[in-house]
Amino acid sequence: MDKKKLLDNGLLEQYLLGELNADQCNEIEKLLASDPELKAKYDLLEQDFESMGLENAIEPPVEVKSNILKLVSKTTIPKAKVIKLYSGGNDKYYLGIAASVAGLLLVGSIWMFSQLSEVKQQLNTVESTNSELNNTIDKLNKELNSNTTLYATLSHPDTEQYILKGNTLMPEGKVVSYVNHTTKSVVINAEKLPDLDAEHDYQMWADVEGEMINMGVISKDKNLLAMNYIDHAESLNITIEPAGGNDHPTVSRLVTNIYLN
Amino acid sequence: MQNDITLITQLQNKDERALSLLYDKYSGAIYSVILKMIKDEGKAQDLLQETFITVWDKADRYDIEKGRFYTWVYRIAKNKVLNVLRKKDLLIQTDDFGVYANKEEDVSNIDPEFLKLKGAITTLETHHKNALELVYFNGLTHREAHKVMNVPLGTFKSYVRQALKQLRESYVKTLSVILLILNAL
Repeated sequence: MDKKKLLDNGLLEQYLLGELNADQCNEIEKLLASDPELKAKYDLLEQDFESMGLENAIEPPVEVKSNILKLVSKTTIPKAKVIKLYSGGNDKYYLGIAASVAGLLLVGSIWMFSQLSEVKQQLNTVESTNSELNNTIDKLNKELNSNTTLYATLSHPDTEQYILKGNTLMPEGKVVSYVNHTTKSVVINAEKLPDLDAEHDYQMWADVEGEMINMGVISKDKNLLAMNYIDHAESLNITIEPAGGNDHPTVSRLVTNIYLN
Repeated sequence: MQNDITLITQLQNKDERALSLLYDKYSGAIYSVILKMIKDEGKAQDLLQETFITVWDKADRYDIEKGRFYTWVYRIAKNKVLNVLRKKDLLIQTDDFGVYANKEEDVSNIDPEFLKLKGAITTLETHHKNALELVYFNGLTHREAHKVMNVPLGTFKSYVRQALKQLRESYVKTLSVILLILNAL
């Protein structure tokens, strides 16, 4: 094989591309070794193929490289391998611990935060329940106090009972009143008073030397209630007044009265 | 190239770092060739791995006097792919087109982007480009490729030669532009 034949037949390219058999390769390698001009030509050809190859490069996935390096490190001399694995392993070990600790802290913080929110919510619930309970207790206390007062009056040995029967304006109605001059208290049972509309209330008056003194408006939602005790009262009177009570009794709407002993 | 000589010497002395650096430099180009030949990403990755393991194992057989390191790795990769393709082809059928008979049918396993050419080769005339693609990226021999292109072997060889000549001119131009820029700086 001579240089001309080699160039004319494109054998240099085929040699580069690995298409030729061993004998042809040997011949060409001999020629290349002995002919600097031919070698220079071949060098350029290689450069061009390499440039074209690099221009068309496609990056392979990283796992391929790590696999190769793993496989290769198994074949290296044991001493170097041991040292490398040891240091690498240690780093990984500490990194692993650090990562675990960080992970635990993160999980712990999230858990504690969720606990905190839960506890806060529970505290809110407890606080509102507590204030509700306090309100109830206050209410009960007030009721108890008033009931105690009422009961004290009702059960007192000096208490006198007067029954105010309704007149023609209120034939069905009556009021039971308990008057105690010792404790200076008046309690009435308004259970039998007929219901009034929203614009009117029953109001109680004491007659003192011809003058009607206000004893208070009779509450619509209670059956047993305390009224103001008036000294030297001669009679008890109940009138129908505009809602909320009046300064002076409307005598034309007197529904019942009784004289005291 | 000077760097490569040092790295290759280190590689021949079983230096893993040298292998790692040479891999970084050449794996992309080699992977591209393997992909374009086998047209299957998974197989291409296996073959790329096998290629560089062979590079590591047989590094002492590389003779720097005989040619560039890249050419040596290219040939190793190409032979590995051809072995796989031949086995596969034997299982299917054999005909005059050898291992490339099934060229057109099994492109389903690959992103078409991987088969696209880039750079100077794309500036060549179609028949020049195709000729180079067949022998360099698809791994066909000249004797197989001229049949695929349906031209006589002699014509095909001249296609390759002209293509390489134009490629050379294109790279020289690029090089002069780079030199001009460097001078201007």
